[in-house]
Amino acid sequence: MIPILGLAVGVVLGLVLDPSVPLWLQPYLPIAVVAALDAVFGGIRARFDGIFDAKVFVVSFVSNVVVAALIVFLGDQLGVGAQLSTAVVVVLGIRIFGNAAAIRRHLFRA
Amino acid sequence: MTRAAPGRPRSLGASLLDQVLAETVDPAYAQAAAARAARAAVSAPEPGSPPPGRPSWIRRRRGQGLVALTFALAGLLASVTYEEAASGAQGREEVRDALRQDIRQGTDRVDDLSAQLEQLTAEVNRTRDEALAASAIGQRALEQLATAEREAALLPVSGPGLEVTLGNAPAAADSDPIGGSEEVAQAGVVQDSDVQQVVNALWSSGAEAVSINDQRLGPTTAVRQAGGAILVDFQPVSSPYEIRAIGDPGTLANRFLSTPEASFVADLTRLYGVVFDFARADELQLPGATGPELRNAQPLDPAGDPPAADTPDSTTDGG
Repeated sequence: MIPILGLAVGVVLGLVLDPSVPLWLQPYLPIAVVAALDAVFGGIRARFDGIFDAKVFVVSFVSNVVVAALIVFLGDQLGVGAQLSTAVVVVLGIRIFGNAAAIRRHLFRA
Repeated sequence: MTRAAPGRPRSLGASLLDQVLAETVDPAYAQAAAARAARAAVSAPEPGSPPPGRPSWIRRRRGQGLVALTFALAGLLASVTYEEAASGAQGREEVRDALRQDIRQGTDRVDDLSAQLEQLTAEVNRTRDEALAASAIGQRALEQLATAEREAALLPVSGPGLEVTLGNAPAAADSDPIGGSEEVAQAGVVQDSDVQQVVNALWSSGAEAVSINDQRLGPTTAVRQAGGAILVDFQPVSSPYEIRAIGDPGTLANRFLSTPEASFVADLTRLYGVVFDFARADELQLPGATGPELRNAQPLDPAGDPPAADTPDSTTDGG
């Protein structure tokens, strides 16, 4: 319950405050969101599996977001930013799908 | 985790895919759970004594707070990204609207100025004709002027002739108007040189006057391309290009069709699907061309003396 409240508070804060993001950071926001989504789904799945751990979740979330943005940043510097973002999105997308399927199995037993 | 069948070699790519597909949850969770189980097993034998370190409820409460904070961060990140994307799309739309507005205003202004120019030219011509008609020498000059104007294509003309239509290749029925292949679309676009060839072929076939999309071709009119648009006398014209030529329809058609330029354009039709059509017309109306800028003028000598040497003109604006 508390995590969902936190999520709602975050969304509302973002919409109300509408913080201006520095221009150099803007290209990495979408990829960071995908990485965050992956960490969140992984956490929810671990919760259903009964092995959730707050420390692991927080660390995996932060490192996921930072590493994803970093990979894309590195790719941009090397001139393969678009390809690397595709790679990140594909890998994280597959993981999100797998976790979502596991959560679905837990929830609906199907 | 799926395991490769024993004895069957797996390629690196396949095993990588296997790993990506199977390891959807962070292995650290399993490790942490195992460590917790081990700790529980160690502290289990003495349930009465408090566990070492902080009491477990504090640890749990702190963990919950951290998780909530992380979720708040995730929500913040998502909403900020959404806002950015939305405002970006909105900004692009605004810029596009502003540019459209600018284009409309510019076009309107050009239209206004053209109409004004036409009106003023008519006024100047009328005044000139009135002034010249007053004297005998003026009337002679007026006649010469009329001949010159006719030859310079400044006067509207009408008569029988030939109407040639050139057009960009029509889009294939199944082609996507947005994501369609650029290459194919480009090949079927009429170039300025195609229009030039047709116009030259018409002139050489004996056309007396030619117009493209109601833009009359004068002696100094250029047909050229600027950034994908064909300009006739600096006015953009668009496909289909209707090229009208006045002359004897029979001879004009026969001669035009036997020119190499006509077969060149026919080849374009065959190869790239460029629209090429021609028809004889009994009555064509061609407007007058815009006159060249007045660069040189000399006063008419009423005494009939030979006019003085050309005076360098003072009305030229940067010629």
